[in-house]
Amino acid sequence: MATLQDPLELSAPATSRGTLAHMRATLRRNWLHVLLLPLLALWASPLVWIVVTSLKTRVEVFDPNAGFLPAIAQWSNYPAAMAVAPFGTYLVNSVLVTGGILICELVTITLAAYAFARLSFPGKNILFTLFLLQIMFPIYATFLTNFVTVRELGILNSLPALIVPFVASGYGTFMLRQAFRQVPTELADAARLDGCGHLGILWHVYLPLVKPTLVAFSIIAVVTHWNDYMWPLLVTNSESVRTLPIGLGLLAKSDSGADWTRLMAATVVVVSPLLLFFVIFQRRFVDSFMHAGLK
Amino acid sequence: MVTGPALRAHVREAGLAYLLLAPSLVFLAAFTYWPIIRSVWFSFHDVMLGSDKIFFLGLENYQRLWTDALFWKSLANTAFYTLVTIPSAIACALLLAVALDSKLRGMTFYRSAFFYPVMIPSVAAGMVWVFLYAPGYGPINHALALFGLPKLEWLYDSNTAMIAIIIMSIWKYSGYFMLILLAALQMIPSDLHEAARLDGVSAWNRLIHITIPLISPTLYFVIIIGLLHSYQIFDYVYVMTQGGPADATNVLTFYIYQNGFQYQDIGYASTLANVLLLFVGGLITLVALVFGRRVHYLGR
Repeated sequence: MATLQDPLELSAPATSRGTLAHMRATLRRNWLHVLLLPLLALWASPLVWIVVTSLKTRVEVFDPNAGFLPAIAQWSNYPAAMAVAPFGTYLVNSVLVTGGILICELVTITLAAYAFARLSFPGKNILFTLFLLQIMFPIYATFLTNFVTVRELGILNSLPALIVPFVASGYGTFMLRQAFRQVPTELADAARLDGCGHLGILWHVYLPLVKPTLVAFSIIAVVTHWNDYMWPLLVTNSESVRTLPIGLGLLAKSDSGADWTRLMAATVVVVSPLLLFFVIFQRRFVDSFMHAGLK
Repeated sequence: MVTGPALRAHVREAGLAYLLLAPSLVFLAAFTYWPIIRSVWFSFHDVMLGSDKIFFLGLENYQRLWTDALFWKSLANTAFYTLVTIPSAIACALLLAVALDSKLRGMTFYRSAFFYPVMIPSVAAGMVWVFLYAPGYGPINHALALFGLPKLEWLYDSNTAMIAIIIMSIWKYSGYFMLILLAALQMIPSDLHEAARLDGVSAWNRLIHITIPLISPTLYFVIIIGLLHSYQIFDYVYVMTQGGPADATNVLTFYIYQNGFQYQDIGYASTLANVLLLFVGGLITLVALVFGRRVHYLGR
C-alpha cells in the first residue's frame, strides 16, 4: 500500500527532515518485503516441490523423517518417466496442434479484423456482436454438441479435431481490430495512390505496424492451447494423437499416486518448455498478458 | 446521391468484407453458434450418444432437471466456486498489484513468481496439488502440524474438498489478474496519490477512494475474465476429485460430462448445458448491471 515517495523529497539536501523521510521510506519498503517474501515462498512452493520430488527416491516421498531435499539426486527418475509413455509423440502432437491453431487463427483474425476496422458493409454491427459473444462461449460451454459435430464429420481421434473448434477467435479479432484502427488512414491512402489494393495495403501497411499486437495475441494463444486439457481429452483415444497434458493426465491415472517421483519428473518435462520461454522472453510475456484487451 | 460507379464501389467493398469475414464466420457458425442452437433442440429430445434415433420428449428433460437433486447440487457448487474464487482471487491480485506498483526492488522477480502458475497446464497444477493435499504425506498437512494445527483430509472430505480446489484456483489465477491490474495502476497519475498523501489521507483510504475508483473499468474487465476462467474448474475436478467425495465438487461442467459421456444421455446433458449458458450469461448480465453503471459513474 506504500506509494512512491516524491522524487524531489528524496533528492533534497540531507536536512534532518530529509533523512528522516528517507529512513521512513526505506523502512516502509522493507516492511513491504517482509510482507511479500512469505507470500512469494508460498506461491513458489508448488514448483519447488515438483522439482525436489522429481529427484527423490520413492521411499523418501513417503518417509515423514526424510529431509526436504533428497539425500542423493535421482536423475534416473527422468528417463524412467519418459520410458512409461511416448512423450516424444506427445510433444510433436502438442507442437503441431498449437502451431496449427495459431496459424489458422492469425489468418482468420487478420482478415476479419481488417474488414471490421476499415470496410463499410451492411450488417457490420450485428456480425461484430456475434464475434464478441464468442468470447462468452469457450469450449467448456459447448463441448458436448461440438463433440457430436466432430464425430459426424468423421474426424474424431485425429489432429484436425483438436484444431477446428479454435480456428475463429472473437477475442483475437477484437484485439487486432483495435490495433488496426489506430493506424493512420493517410498511410493506407498513400499506398492506394501507389496502386495497392485492399489486400496489398493489409499486407504491406497494416500488418507490419501491428506486430506488437500480433506477438501479444500469439503468446496468449500459445499458452492457452499448449495447456488445453478438456477438449483433447474428449476427442482423442489413441497414443498417436495425444498431446502432452493428456499424456501427463494418463500417467497420473495409471500410477494413481503410487510413484510420485516419476510423475513429478514427467511434470517437469511438460511444464518446462513454456516456463523456459517465459524466463527468456519475460518482458514480452508480461507485456502481452498485461495489456491484452486493455487498449 | 449514389451514382452508378459509386454504388458499384460500395457493393464491391461490401463483397470484399464478406469474403474476408467468411473464414471466421464459417468456423464461428459451426463450432460456436450451431452447437448452441443444436443443444437447445437436443434438450427437447431423447438423444443417445452413438445412436441415430431421436425421440421427441417435449419438456420432459426440463421436468427431470427440476426434480434432479444432483443438478441443484452441482449448480450450487458451481455458484459457490465462482462466487468465492473470483472475489478472493481479485482481492488478492489487487493487494499484490498495489504492493508491486511502488517501484519495489526485485519487482520483476516478484511479478514472475506470482505469475508463473498461469503458465502451468491445469492438469499438471491439479496433479501437484493432489500431492500437496495428500492427508498422509502431503506437505500442507506437515506444515499445519508444524504450527500445531489439526491435519485435514482436504480432497477426501466433502466439507473441505471444494475449499481445497478454491485455494488452488486462487494460486493459479491471482497472478494473471495482478498483471492486468498492475497495467491499470501504472496509468494513474502519481500526483493524485501524492496530493492525498500530503493531505494526510491514510494508505487504506487512498486505496478505497482513489485507486479503486480510478481502475474500476479494469476491475470490471477482470471480473468478466474471471467469470470466463471459472469454466476451467472442469479440469481440476476431473483430475483431482472426479466430482467427489459424495458429489461435493460436482460442478455443472462436470455433470454435463458425466451425463453426456458416461451415461451417453446427450439430450439431458444438452439441457444441463443450456442451464450452464444461462447461468454464466446471467452472471455476466448481473455484473454489467450492478458494476457497469458504477464504472461509468466513477470513471467520469
